[in-house]
Amino acid sequence: VFCSMAGEDFFLEEKRFKQYCEDFVKHSQQIGDGWEWRTSKDLPDGYLSKTHFQVRNRHIPPDLKEKNNDSTEQMLFAHAEEPSDDSQAAGVCSTEDVVRYEYHVLYSSSYQVPVLYFRACFLDGRPLTLDEIWGSVHASYQDRLQEGPWDTITQQEHPILGQPFFVLHPCRTNEFISAVLGGSQEHLRHTNYIILWLSTVGPVVGLNLPLSYAKLAPEQSTDADLT
Amino acid sequence: MTDDKDVLRDVWFGRIPTCFTLYQDEITEREAEPYYLLLPRISYLTLVTDKVKKHFQKVMRQEEVSEIWFEYEGTPLKWHYPIGLLFDLHASNTALPWSITVHFKNFPEKDLLHCHSKDVIEAHFMACIKEADALKHKSQVINEMQKKDHKQLWMGLQNDKFEQFWAINRKLMEYSPEDNGFRYIPFRIYQATTERPFIQKLFRPIASGGQLHTLGDLLKDVCPSAITPEDGEQKTQVMIHGIEPMLETPIQWLSEHMSYPDNFLHISIIPRPTD
Repeated sequence: VFCSMAGEDFFLEEKRFKQYCEDFVKHSQQIGDGWEWRTSKDLPDGYLSKTHFQVRNRHIPPDLKEKNNDSTEQMLFAHAEEPSDDSQAAGVCSTEDVVRYEYHVLYSSSYQVPVLYFRACFLDGRPLTLDEIWGSVHASYQDRLQEGPWDTITQQEHPILGQPFFVLHPCRTNEFISAVLGGSQEHLRHTNYIILWLSTVGPVVGLNLPLSYAKLAPEQSTDADLT
Repeated sequence: MTDDKDVLRDVWFGRIPTCFTLYQDEITEREAEPYYLLLPRISYLTLVTDKVKKHFQKVMRQEEVSEIWFEYEGTPLKWHYPIGLLFDLHASNTALPWSITVHFKNFPEKDLLHCHSKDVIEAHFMACIKEADALKHKSQVINEMQKKDHKQLWMGLQNDKFEQFWAINRKLMEYSPEDNGFRYIPFRIYQATTERPFIQKLFRPIASGGQLHTLGDLLKDVCPSAITPEDGEQKTQVMIHGIEPMLETPIQWLSEHMSYPDNFLHISIIPRPTD
């Protein structure tokens, strides 16, 4: 699959990316969603970052993975159950069961779009493989993975931290953003690109945005500064 | 005067004499001899070390062998960086041969990407080429090519076939006559001392007045600490493919002639040796 820059009208300038991120973080702080903006020491660029912990149920019966129903998600993200009397299990989750997820949104100056980097590890530091991460995503999103505006998720070096992360390939972002926003520049000016984009790509990798983000009104100054 | 095309050949055929030694804590059935190899500067470690792997696996038990990885003086070597870049960045002012330690256990998950097959290398290589063309031509040239042209770039690299590679790559080095160069220059600047792995920014090869930007202009804009003040002693070297190009060199020329096969200029800023 080739990358297309056909949607050039909808490329995201870096200044605008930063402004959308700023608005995004403000809202996140209001609702306690845990996003923050991180900068690097030596250069003025930065990225959005969110870390969250989830308890994974160790004993996922094989047939549950194939069922496409809500109870699957409940099972997968359930809090640890009390051990039965005759089991040897400790009363608290072992470090095996708690997974630390990290999501970063960076700006790609080459493609002029945001890019989602993510990784997950157990508390003892053992990283999850891509399959293990996918395994914990709601089954209905696994289908969507086939048709989404991303043909690959690959392991890549994080351009600021220099560590391995998984990355949704960015080159078709323009395609689906253009499709969603239609032909009107007017629409673009009133939409937070980051919210639009993240709400689409996020759930595929286990990242959900509360609905209140959709009500985010652009600040008047945003448009004025950037025209 | 050397023809510009000779530069392309010199870049392609650059080699680094290397000595591979098995890490002392690996468990062997008999002693492992070091293995010597001339590494192509323009290729990738995991693409050219099959013989190294076979050599050491001969003295090890199957169960002791998992994914191979390489280290130099305690630093895990990133296989997804070209070999010449790794050498310039970490070992250019040390005695040859380059001594690399080979590991088969305890893969450093926090530092290195996995490389389970040649497909992973190919995917990485092609992703770099595509990104470079997004910068140079808004992806127009790479998108117009057929799948078999893409394959030819990869096969040319894999099989060390200069003519095969450049038959296709020359198209990625063209630009229309009304422009005087690429839209932006694909480059990355590396310094071993920083936490950030590299610096990459948008940079135009031609100034608004039409003059050609130079390597010095690029560094001033993107990494000014690499260029010391005029009255100071030059504390750093700016190295590409083992040489220090003059700072007056037009960056457009460097991009066309001294890029790696992935179409990026990989530039190392290293401490100048004091002798």
